[in-house]
Amino acid sequence: MVTQTKLRTNSETGPGSGGQPQPRLFTIDEYYAMAEAGILTEDDRVELIDGVIVKMAPIGSTHIGSVNSSTRALTTTVGTRAIVQVQSPVRLDDATEPQPDLALLRERADFYGSGIAGPEDVLLVIEVSDSSVDYDRNEKLPRYARAGIPEVWLAILPERVIEAHTEPAGGRYTQMRTFRSGDTISPGCFPDIAMSVDDILPV
Amino acid sequence: MVTTQTKPPPHPADVSQLPLRRFTVDEYFAMAEAGILRKEDKVELIDGVIVAMAPMGRNHRSTTNRYTRLFGESVRRRAIVQIQSSVVLDDRTMPEPDLALLREQADFYRSDDAGPEDVLLVIEVSDSSVDYDRNEKLPRYARAGIPEVWLTILPERVIEAHTEPADGRYAVRRIFAPGDTISPDCFPDIALSVDEILPGQ
Repeated sequence: MVTQTKLRTNSETGPGSGGQPQPRLFTIDEYYAMAEAGILTEDDRVELIDGVIVKMAPIGSTHIGSVNSSTRALTTTVGTRAIVQVQSPVRLDDATEPQPDLALLRERADFYGSGIAGPEDVLLVIEVSDSSVDYDRNEKLPRYARAGIPEVWLAILPERVIEAHTEPAGGRYTQMRTFRSGDTISPGCFPDIAMSVDDILPV
Repeated sequence: MVTTQTKPPPHPADVSQLPLRRFTVDEYFAMAEAGILRKEDKVELIDGVIVAMAPMGRNHRSTTNRYTRLFGESVRRRAIVQIQSSVVLDDRTMPEPDLALLREQADFYRSDDAGPEDVLLVIEVSDSSVDYDRNEKLPRYARAGIPEVWLTILPERVIEAHTEPADGRYAVRRIFAPGDTISPDCFPDIALSVDEILPGQ
């Protein structure tokens, strides 16, 4: 025996102080197998991001309210020109399937009953961000860009602004426009539709 | 309306910041049963995270084989030598130590997984994984009350024996180098030569 030491602080050996474990990554097939086996249930608010099963932030009432008002703003203006999909998954690649708060999908007669929407089906994604703004901005936004989703709106509740991110290139959105209370906002896919920011983010 | 050129985002392939959905030991077993996790999957469950283990190098494998022989010969039928299989620490943590010395049980833990109270000694062989073993696994063994853990640090040719778990850490660390002999607390009559465990080139 060479040395005997009394360790002084927990920080020398405390969890999280280094040696970051890498999570086992899952494919979409494995992700669905977990749902089939009852491991992931409907009560699980999860999404698959680059093979990682991510726990989504719990929904607060202001978040619910804004999703509801956005749903109305979209359905009343878009009509039958596209499908409004609320809090359901879209598939970005074979290891990434987020659940955006709202997605405007290319019109399809079966309402995507026979297959989940892929990147080419998505016209616009809206994420309503409350406490999740960093996650939406840093983790989800670049992945939407990488998949070529043409437009993403981040509706940021604490600031009551909508950031419209467009022109994906090189894994990021190269343009961002910021809309505030009193402004109107139009999706790039339907420039004739103008929605009031106050309808999307009611006071 | 304000138009701005946006700054490049952080690299989107980095998954270390994602808020993980954590799993229980039961869910982890259900994944194995459903064929989602397979035998080829080198994984362990750490605080609900299914962690991919570092691939095992030649040196790691041969050291584990040496330990297997040395403990098999010396422990005989007084305890069960379990190699690279899981032990349950709590309902969200089930690591796979390189070697675990388990309290004797007639069915060799066929009917039940070894829990913290069954574990006499854990040995981890660390090559590139030394930070992970030291910073992530060691405190969790301590928290579960595993009485003794040996970290076998291949690049340095030393064995660290961690004992006296209290408050989620080991209070005592002894370091053994070539020329030393090392004994587990549970069987003080067993004295292993560090040179036999970690021979030079």
